[in-house]
Amino acid sequence: MSAEPKPAPAAGPMVDVRKVRKVYHRDAEEITVLDGMNLQVPPGEFVALMGPSGSGKTTLLNLIAGIDRPTSGLVTVAGTDVTQLSESDLARWRSRNVGFIFQFYNLIPVLTALENVELPLLLTRLGKAERRERALTALRVVGLADRSRHYPRQLSGGQEQRVAIARAIVGDPSVLVADEPTGDLDAKSAEEILALIESLNRDFHKTIVMVTHDPRAAERAHVQRHLDKGVLKD
Amino acid sequence: MKFLPFVLKHLRRNWIRTTSTVAAMAICIFLFCTLQSVLAEINALLAASNASRLITRHAVSLVFQVPLAYGPRIQAVPGVKSVANTTWFGGSLPAKKEGKADPEAEATMDWSNFFPNMAVDEAYFAMSPEFQIPPDQFQAYLQDMQGAVVGRKLADKFGWKIGDRFFLESFIPAYRKREGPFEFVVRAIADTDAAKYPGTDTGIMFFQYKYLYESTGRRLNAGTYTVEIDDPSRAGAISKAIDAQFENSDAQTHTETEQAFRAGFIAMAGNLALLLNGIGLAVSFTILLVTANTMSMAVRERRTEIAVLKTLGFPSAHVMGLVVAEAVALGVLGGALGIGGSQGLMWVLSNTPGISDMLAGIGLSGVTLKPMVAAVGFLVAILLGFAAGFVPALSAYRSRITDMLRTV
Repeated sequence: MSAEPKPAPAAGPMVDVRKVRKVYHRDAEEITVLDGMNLQVPPGEFVALMGPSGSGKTTLLNLIAGIDRPTSGLVTVAGTDVTQLSESDLARWRSRNVGFIFQFYNLIPVLTALENVELPLLLTRLGKAERRERALTALRVVGLADRSRHYPRQLSGGQEQRVAIARAIVGDPSVLVADEPTGDLDAKSAEEILALIESLNRDFHKTIVMVTHDPRAAERAHVQRHLDKGVLKD
Repeated sequence: MKFLPFVLKHLRRNWIRTTSTVAAMAICIFLFCTLQSVLAEINALLAASNASRLITRHAVSLVFQVPLAYGPRIQAVPGVKSVANTTWFGGSLPAKKEGKADPEAEATMDWSNFFPNMAVDEAYFAMSPEFQIPPDQFQAYLQDMQGAVVGRKLADKFGWKIGDRFFLESFIPAYRKREGPFEFVVRAIADTDAAKYPGTDTGIMFFQYKYLYESTGRRLNAGTYTVEIDDPSRAGAISKAIDAQFENSDAQTHTETEQAFRAGFIAMAGNLALLLNGIGLAVSFTILLVTANTMSMAVRERRTEIAVLKTLGFPSAHVMGLVVAEAVALGVLGGALGIGGSQGLMWVLSNTPGISDMLAGIGLSGVTLKPMVAAVGFLVAILLGFAAGFVPALSAYRSRITDMLRTV
């Protein structure tokens, strides 16, 4: 599923978060969301981040995914210190190294399932036929090849999330980050999605960092880490 | 090009909004092209004016005539080479013939075949080199009181050839005769050198003033005098000198260059250039606001999608480009429709009897959508689209992913 050749990650943790501090400013007020956070995730690990609302789970996930920057500290993912990258380099790095699964799927409504999955590949030099083939392969992996021409409105919540997962894996990223991927689904669909994520970790050896409130979802992960007030508790 | 389907699919997202925006843009470009074409035609008409010709008319209004006695006095003004009585006849082809006066004449005027026709002195042709008439035909014209010189375009339009007869009846009561319409014989056909005299309209007809004068009981004066001068740079001084001659008379005159006269004639409806440009500018600005609003709404609606694109690795500049491309696509669609509409209107104007002849009557027979005007209109549409999309696109460029995702 690799779209373009990319450097092999250096030996050591796939995700290495060291002494990360993240402070938000609201008017004159300073809000410290992460305070000296340290987290190491080895390659092929499936980590669940848990904690109450406002504990900093999503902020940590955003830092790992390279869509936010820490106030201080180091975030190294797949051998790259993402805090040192420029905006454009960071965007390019994200396209090659990170697959993001959102709670609300966030599919583009005017595009079919296939086109949604193909979207990240538009940034590569692949030809149209190759892009289509890879997108179809990703849809096959999530079991939705027969729904490739359907628009998001024609799919159930669980199916939409599976398309979103196909979009996340189509570029063969090193790391998958999932922000409450079952938060908007019924129990049955949630089970299917969790089984799919688990299989991506087991069969494709993807390193997965998942934020969840759901203990049953967290049980699927190899490791559970709990955050509270911006600090890892265990 | 691989992003084009993506851009077009977004345009189809909200049909009503896209259609109304494209329609607004189309109306803007339609008005721009149409108004500019009319202006271009007016400018061409003015450009065709001869710098060494002045027009002397009644100071109060064109409605009033200038006494015939003024002709020799104008001729005597230093710097004047020649003077020609030039009277706008205002005739159109009636459905009846000379000698069969019809009390319902006014009701039977055929306005659909209206064209400019002037009663002139022989001297007029000597000072109008833009009209090229074969010498033998010109002699035949001079020797026939009912003779007419018709422009090539007019001859082609009606299929007239040398020796053909036709009738004209003026809508001006003073230019009518009891016996019925004026009968004319085509004695000469005037051509022009379009390269040397661009803008010259050959959709015009001339006949001898003497015919008009004698047929109406010798009670007429001159509509205007066309005055040829020896030095165009002295046009102002000579104009003043002519008008000074008649300053203390009942019929004071107003003398100006032919170009100024034509501009004034066209501008009787007001300052057309200012009016047309003003309308165009106001409409364009309004459409800019409408399109900008549409794009702002579209971007605001899609904040999450923009965040997703950025998360997937689309650089901010790329996302900005997609938003601008969408706005420019609106401009391209609107521009194409507007230009098509304008072209259609021009076709209708130039092919609808009555309207085309009415335009020809005021010298605007050649109103067409010029390629340059269409090109500028299309460019304006693209620029409007770009300008409308730039600010929302910049907002998309600057927005942080986490902020946009938070507004779900």
